[in-house]
Amino acid sequence: MGDLVQAELRKTTTTTLWWALLIPTVLVALGGGLLSGLLGQSIVEVFSSSEAEQLSDALGVTPDQWKFSLLGIGRTINLATMFPLIFGALAIANEVGTRTITTTFLTAPSRVHAMAAKMMVYALWGTIYGLAIIGFTALGIVLTSNSGQMPDAGGWAMLTLVCVLSSILMTMFGVGLGALIPNSAGVVVLLIMYFLVIENALQLGLRIAGVPETAVGFLPNGSVDGLTGSVAVDLFLADAGVVPEEGVYWLRVIAGAGGAQAWWLSGLIFLAWVAAAFGGGWARMTQKDIT
Amino acid sequence: MHDGSGLIAVQNLTKQFGSVTAVQNLSFTVSPGSVTGFLGPNGAGKTTTLRMLLGLVKPTSGTATINGRPFHQLGRPGRVVGAVLEAQGFHPNRTARNHLRVYASAIGVPDAQADQVLGLVGLSTAAGRNVGGFSLGMKQRMAVATALLGDPQVLVLDEPANGLDPEGIAWLRNFLQSFARMGRTVLISSHLLAEVEQTVDQVVIVSRGQTMYYGPLEHLRQQQQRRVFVQPSDVGALATALREAGVQALEQLPDGRLAVSGMDAKQVADAALRAGVSVYGIQEEQADLEQIFFRLTSGQFAGHAPAPYQQQQGGWA
Ligand SMILES: Nc1ncnc2c1ncn2[C@@H]1O[C@H](COP(=O)(O)OP(=O)(O)OP(=O)(O)O)[C@@H](O)[C@H]1O
Ligand SMILES: [Mg+2]
Repeated sequence: MGDLVQAELRKTTTTTLWWALLIPTVLVALGGGLLSGLLGQSIVEVFSSSEAEQLSDALGVTPDQWKFSLLGIGRTINLATMFPLIFGALAIANEVGTRTITTTFLTAPSRVHAMAAKMMVYALWGTIYGLAIIGFTALGIVLTSNSGQMPDAGGWAMLTLVCVLSSILMTMFGVGLGALIPNSAGVVVLLIMYFLVIENALQLGLRIAGVPETAVGFLPNGSVDGLTGSVAVDLFLADAGVVPEEGVYWLRVIAGAGGAQAWWLSGLIFLAWVAAAFGGGWARMTQKDIT
Repeated sequence: MHDGSGLIAVQNLTKQFGSVTAVQNLSFTVSPGSVTGFLGPNGAGKTTTLRMLLGLVKPTSGTATINGRPFHQLGRPGRVVGAVLEAQGFHPNRTARNHLRVYASAIGVPDAQADQVLGLVGLSTAAGRNVGGFSLGMKQRMAVATALLGDPQVLVLDEPANGLDPEGIAWLRNFLQSFARMGRTVLISSHLLAEVEQTVDQVVIVSRGQTMYYGPLEHLRQQQQRRVFVQPSDVGALATALREAGVQALEQLPDGRLAVSGMDAKQVADAALRAGVSVYGIQEEQADLEQIFFRLTSGQFAGHAPAPYQQQQGGWA
């Protein structure tokens, strides 16, 4: 098994895809961090003006201490994990496309071994992408906001955990779907369309149709977004003092956790989606005639 | 675990792709120590059979084993069997050396083996180049190199001569023969008997998914009736003498020679001597294997000459 893992690792490091996708990942993370920091900082400045201060004092809230930049982190992670998702999707789709899958299966004790080795290596890559994402998002925020806008060490640890988890799960979702639809262009277009357009339209449709808000949290993007968004909102609320109920709703929507369950439950829901995609892809690849 | 015998056994193998029967109740065995040709026209089911043997295609029924085991029970298959299936299966942007190193680690052999097989197939100087830029023949050599990585006991090759230059074909021929002489097993498919005639000892001939002939190439040659061409000083006298000796099939050729069936050259010469006829030239016809091959396999997907010309029969069937 160690041999196969090394082989799969070499497959990923001997072509340029990993850094070709890591560059935009880092740019999105850094850009998202910078933007979150800037927006958070300017919102705080608006609230710190004297008139606003009178208003907030009257309401008994303290928005000048709110860490708005936190809300952008969840969004940034969600957008940046599109790249590990694509990286995962190409794992098997590219092998089927270039027909290297034949040699892969000929040199492994069984297809199950080959797939398992691939899974481990892509989990590792998911971790690497996840660390890059949280690292560069943090860098962007550090560069643009003062320390009052930033979470404490425990908060960063929590954000790192969910960012890496989210990245691993997105990568795995990609691997599964790429096995289910082993066509590189097709599966990449489908995933981008789904995560950026289709599900957003679906969420909007559900809201318009008056379906309970929580339904959104059970969709793939709704749940994976909830995994990071919920943590961002939790961290925000922990230091925010009094926040009106209506305000919490909008905070969740802004953070990308609208309608989502608690972070861990959101993670489990997305894990179920990953398992479904992976199970389907696994079944397809272990049965498929390679002609 | 496998028995290390080097034996390939195909038994009642059948594969149905929807309504297409690619392989039908095929049986044959391949022994170590010889090169076995797997022959049949296009669409006969050769590739499908080899892929079933290699566990890439699931048989509808029947079994195919290497060393007494189906492929997925070989344990470390890369060390038992090497396969050349097509001049594809390379990431275009991966270098030749890196491609081989990927699979060297999958098989569990040292990285040095990658450079070794590159040298063996004559691609050492291209080791650092991306395989996407290789010519067809270079890719075919890469496929052979990949097959040899695990120093396997059994080699399975599907039309490996495709795209190879004459030098490459000669190299492959010698390589396969010496490989077999080491007591290993070689199964090589082709749709051209002539292409492998000088390489193989045994043949399995398939057509429409079924076995048409299976045995030594020599026996196939002997099935063909031999003819002797003789140029006598007196055609009439020799013909009379031969008829008296019991020869039925005699044919006079336009160039004045006699074509004699049912006798070898020596017998014809002796008959001429007894009849007092001089012999100016005599030769035995080589058995035309290609014709036997045609007879065994003709029919499927037989092409036709384009209508306006109509001078030739047959296409690539
Ligand atoms: N994946 C597939 N789906 C449907 N039919 C297939 C598939 N693969 C092969 N066939 C059919 O099976 C038959 C045998 O094909 P196969 O490729 O095994 O022939 P072959 O002997 O290798 O021919 P060639 O000399 O052209 O390589 C053909 O009729 C082919 O169309
Ligand atoms: Mg073929």
